[in-house]
Amino acid sequence: MKRYDTQAPISAKVPSKAPWVFLGLAVVFLAVGSYLGLFVAPPEHYMGEVQRIMYVHVPTAWNAMLAFSFAFICALLSLFRADWKWDARMEAAIEVGIILSFLLCMQGSIWAKPTWGVWWDWDPRLTTTAVMLAAFLGILTLRRFVDDPVKRATWSAAATIIAFVDVPIVYFSVRWWNSLHQLQSTPETVSSAFHWPLRINAFGVLFLMIGLIWLRTRVASLRLQNELAPPPDEVPVAAGALHPEGAR
Amino acid sequence: MTGVVTGGWSFVIAAYGLTALVLIIYTASVVARYRRERQRVERGEP
Repeated sequence: MKRYDTQAPISAKVPSKAPWVFLGLAVVFLAVGSYLGLFVAPPEHYMGEVQRIMYVHVPTAWNAMLAFSFAFICALLSLFRADWKWDARMEAAIEVGIILSFLLCMQGSIWAKPTWGVWWDWDPRLTTTAVMLAAFLGILTLRRFVDDPVKRATWSAAATIIAFVDVPIVYFSVRWWNSLHQLQSTPETVSSAFHWPLRINAFGVLFLMIGLIWLRTRVASLRLQNELAPPPDEVPVAAGALHPEGAR
Repeated sequence: MTGVVTGGWSFVIAAYGLTALVLIIYTASVVARYRRERQRVERGEP
């Protein structure tokens, strides 16, 4: 396993316009998908209009798990390659995953009330999702409290690998245990009238996730750049030199 | 009791509205943080 090089320069390439393109695509896809889901697709037979929440809930779930999966890959690469760019990408993926997971829980709760009669239930799917959100939130909090960039990168990468164990558990929870939450839908179990809004919104959230992770990675990289290589005018001063006593 | 959920538009609006609000606020925060960091680097500030 390599060691992080605190003198290693972070890429100074001219930033591309790619994240902005992804954000623009996301707006278009989400606008079209949501329009189809809200006004064109028919209501579901039993759940009626409430089922329209699926067109935003399911893409959010897929992409939240995708963001954490990407964070897991970044954590592995960050640890084994000791490359700062993977640490920055991991931080970005975790933050975006947390936002999507928070939204996932909120949307699910709003959908649960009219269909299950409760806002929340400690059922396996919901509980494992809450654990996933809390675990990754903890990692982001850990990063805030560790000042040393090497320790921060190492500890948070290790914690991300451990926290990721819950992601497949979230996915398979509805199969492994008796869950109030329905099983994963497939094109065979979903009416073809529901396919397009679901697919278009799935790509919309995917593009949004990519654009946000990309942009957030740049924020993390710029901060790291500042931490690892202070500006030249910031000359280290001997202890006590700034103190009136030391100026004598 | 028919077993069929009737109405429900208020829940749909709440779910879509909350999603849009959170995503817009978060995107704006990421863009603002990026611009702030870029400006700091361009000015050579620590």
